[in-house]
Amino acid sequence: MTNTLIKLDNIKKIFFTDEVETHALSNISLTINKGEYVSISGPSGCGKSTLLSLLGLLDTSTSGQYILSTHDVSSISKKQRAHIRNKEIGFIFQSFNLISDLDVEENVELPLTYRHDLTKVQRKEMVKNALEKVNMAHRAKHFPSQLSGGQQQRVAVARAIAGDPSIILADEPTGNLDSENAQAVMALLASLHAEGATICMVTHDPRSAERADRNIDILDGQIVSDKSTSKNSVEAA
Amino acid sequence: MIIQDINYAFRLLSKKPAFTVLTTLVMAVGIGVSVYMFSFFNTILYKDLPFEDGASLVVINASVNGTHDNEKLSLHDFNEIKNNVNGLSEFSSYYNTDVIVSSKDGARRFPAIISEPNMFALTRVKPLLGRSYNQAESNAGAEKVVVIGYDIWQNQFAGNDNVIDKLMRLNGENYRVIGVMPEDYFFPNIAQLWLPNTENVAQISRKDANSVHGLAHIVDGNSIADIDGQLNLVMQRIKQQYPETNNGLSAYAVSIPGSGASDGQPVIYTMHIVAILILILASINVGNLLLSRAVERSKETAIRVALGAPRSRLISQMLWESIIICSLGGIIGLLVMAWGLEVTETIVATFFTDPPAFWWKFGLDSYTITLFFIIVFSTIIVTGLLPAWKNSGGDFNAVLRDGTRGALSKKSGRVNKMLVISEIFISMTVLIAAAVMVFASYTQSRADIGAETKNILNASVVLPNSKYPSEQEQVQFVKTLTSLIENSTGIGEVIIASALPGNFSYETSFAIDGFEYTEQSALSYPVMNYVAVMPGSLDKLGVELKQGRYFNSGDDGLDKKSVIVTESFAIKYFNETSAIGKRVRTVSSDNNIDWLTIVGVVETTLHGERETQNFPSVYRPFTQAPRNKLTIAMKMTASQALATKTLRKTMASIDAELPSFKIETYQQSVERITAPITFISNLTALFALAAVVLAASGIYGVMSNTINQRTHEIGIKRALGADEQLITKEFLLAGLKLLLWGGIPGLLAGGFMGFGMSQMFGTDHSVLIIIATLMTILVGSVVLLATYLPTQRALIVEPSQALHYQ
Repeated sequence: MTNTLIKLDNIKKIFFTDEVETHALSNISLTINKGEYVSISGPSGCGKSTLLSLLGLLDTSTSGQYILSTHDVSSISKKQRAHIRNKEIGFIFQSFNLISDLDVEENVELPLTYRHDLTKVQRKEMVKNALEKVNMAHRAKHFPSQLSGGQQQRVAVARAIAGDPSIILADEPTGNLDSENAQAVMALLASLHAEGATICMVTHDPRSAERADRNIDILDGQIVSDKSTSKNSVEAA
Repeated sequence: MIIQDINYAFRLLSKKPAFTVLTTLVMAVGIGVSVYMFSFFNTILYKDLPFEDGASLVVINASVNGTHDNEKLSLHDFNEIKNNVNGLSEFSSYYNTDVIVSSKDGARRFPAIISEPNMFALTRVKPLLGRSYNQAESNAGAEKVVVIGYDIWQNQFAGNDNVIDKLMRLNGENYRVIGVMPEDYFFPNIAQLWLPNTENVAQISRKDANSVHGLAHIVDGNSIADIDGQLNLVMQRIKQQYPETNNGLSAYAVSIPGSGASDGQPVIYTMHIVAILILILASINVGNLLLSRAVERSKETAIRVALGAPRSRLISQMLWESIIICSLGGIIGLLVMAWGLEVTETIVATFFTDPPAFWWKFGLDSYTITLFFIIVFSTIIVTGLLPAWKNSGGDFNAVLRDGTRGALSKKSGRVNKMLVISEIFISMTVLIAAAVMVFASYTQSRADIGAETKNILNASVVLPNSKYPSEQEQVQFVKTLTSLIENSTGIGEVIIASALPGNFSYETSFAIDGFEYTEQSALSYPVMNYVAVMPGSLDKLGVELKQGRYFNSGDDGLDKKSVIVTESFAIKYFNETSAIGKRVRTVSSDNNIDWLTIVGVVETTLHGERETQNFPSVYRPFTQAPRNKLTIAMKMTASQALATKTLRKTMASIDAELPSFKIETYQQSVERITAPITFISNLTALFALAAVVLAASGIYGVMSNTINQRTHEIGIKRALGADEQLITKEFLLAGLKLLLWGGIPGLLAGGFMGFGMSQMFGTDHSVLIIIATLMTILVGSVVLLATYLPTQRALIVEPSQALHYQ
């Protein structure tokens, strides 16, 4: 049984604006195994967020192949992409992206409501577990505007893990937080990883990147380094 | 400081010319429509008469079975009212008549008034020349005198200052001119001649006296409701004394302009409500557009606050935009409305063969200008309020801290929902009410009157009693006229009747042999149109014979007693059996019991207004029961001009002092009946169209704006696994909820107004249900489309882009 969760092969992403071609990603090839904690770093505009969007099926590549859990997802329909995002991927965003009209519990439950195989009782149980994991169960009925930034991000983490996804994709999860809250969120991700979660995190904070066990550096849309922080070091192709 | 704010507002508006033009035009429509509607009805119904104490002048009319239809009172009932009602002063009375004025240039008919001598005093207007008539000249046998109007003085006497004491030929008799009224004096409505009423209540019996309209001034401190209460009591007392003539009768007071409304109040209220709703709709739309701009500029405003801008300054900046848009829109609306009122005066003049009421002067009067300023001020407040609220309150720190989307968007969402709900409510209300009116008008104007109207020229003739006192003379006149005209070139068949199908006719109560009538009052008997026709006329008009026969020469003779009834009559009273051979009689206070035998049944014909009860008609040969008011209908074989010339020449050859008037085609005379309701309904349809466009664009604008603001949220949901169908479904459901919140009250309000009008127009309730259903589907489609299209637009962008949408 293969341990590979994600496999990118020669992925390209070109943006076309006003007849100008912007090569955001060029020939990216990358493999992420189950249980890995990967950080993607690089300067602003290098393409790391674009890469995360492609990994999260929030966008499509211009060319190349993307295999997720043995399925080729490079050219699947929008509906299938939505289904995979819901089942396989958990997102954590820099700006939390909680929905202001929904309370904490409803925010966490939201992705579960898109599944047809869960009963309401099951959903409530999953939400409760997720909120307990991030220590936010006591704030279940609060609205996002009533929470601090750190608390909002913990709710976002709960939302990401509630559906037990194959991978958690985090885009600058500490970017909008003070150092204390940032540390708390990073500790939370570390504990999730310790429990077996696969995490791929975009960050330009070296201290956050250090927590991952594999660091990928991107520059001008290309991987310039891919190394394990513990032992293995793999030079970019 | 203010100049700076004005400059800033102008700069912002000039930056987005399309936005400025759109909002200005929307306001122009809203303000123009509402000011027009209020001005129109004020001119017709609510304006004080242009006399000293004109505001307190009322007319006292009879109400029949509770309906206010400007009926006259018996002279004796009015006398009782005069003696017993407090709170009214300076009683007078009058009735309308037509007078034929003969001069060396020929004979012409003029609208005239027969009144008590003090009628002029009630208007505080004195004759320009001479005097008004006195009590002595109102006695029977007194010298015949007349007060003439300014136009007659100019046209008949060339404005001669020595006109007083000159003689005029009126209805074939000499009258002494004793006064000339000032220019534009047509009191109480369109009169051009005023004659004393010589009937004295003490000297004439109840059944022989003419009926009159009462006039009086309301004494300060009394309301019309108080007066109506007293009138009712007096009439109740008379009813107990004279049940046979007064059962079902009462009286009411109303201002002279207000009397024009009759029982048409539901339509008038509806039109006013429609106008207000359109104004609100326009204000909501502009307010929403300004609100969108305020949202766009949230960050800029937050920076201003951070730099220390006081709240009042922010509100002032937002209000200046509203002031400029509403003022510009208002001026455009006012100009278009002024033109509209001018056109209205021309259109309204075509509703009548006589000139319209003298106070119907449409234009920018002081009421209209005052109302204009009030409305513009209100719209500035309403349209400026939302953006000013948006920009002066709220968490600016949150706005400045990019990415934290909290309380502001939630409040905005609520406001947007309220806006959409309001627009749905208003559009539903306006559309249902307008559709009922348009439907009623459409069916009325296309109602089958039961006769062929093509290529027929009509004219009216009144035979003065002084020259044609006997029935034989009236019949002879008609026979001579028919024979002469039918043998003239350019004219084919000639039809002579007291009234043609489609036009107003004399209505009276009938008793039907074999039916029992318990109440001893004429009002308890069924009312019918009672029409006199020359034998052969119904056939010539194409009124189809259903049973029996048409009138023929065998029916000629004042002692003969035959009638033809319409199918509606036959079905209503003899559904199972044939009406032929059955007998009917008119019910009159002189206990006339001449039974008339039904010899034929013709197809149903309509007479008079289409919206009220369509009474069945009873036709009687003119040769049995002649009338002094005739309609001559001539089938034209050549031009209308030739037919008109032939008619005038023939009339002159029979009686040089007898004019024909209201010369127009049959089709025109029929259309004239429905012209006012057609005009009002066209106006309503136009306003409803404006409401639909405003509401549709407004709903689309708000929904589009709302969904646009939620693009980021859509991105989040898609990132979490919601597919496009799910998002679309979610938004459509939200749209449907708004539709229900606004639609159900709108359906009720529109249904209520529609019901009021359907009662008045006699529209079937099933039609109201169909209209309500169709309008619900229409508004529902607009809401769902306004939700669907922006949602699809928001879904075109990839979730990754939507997540970064600001």
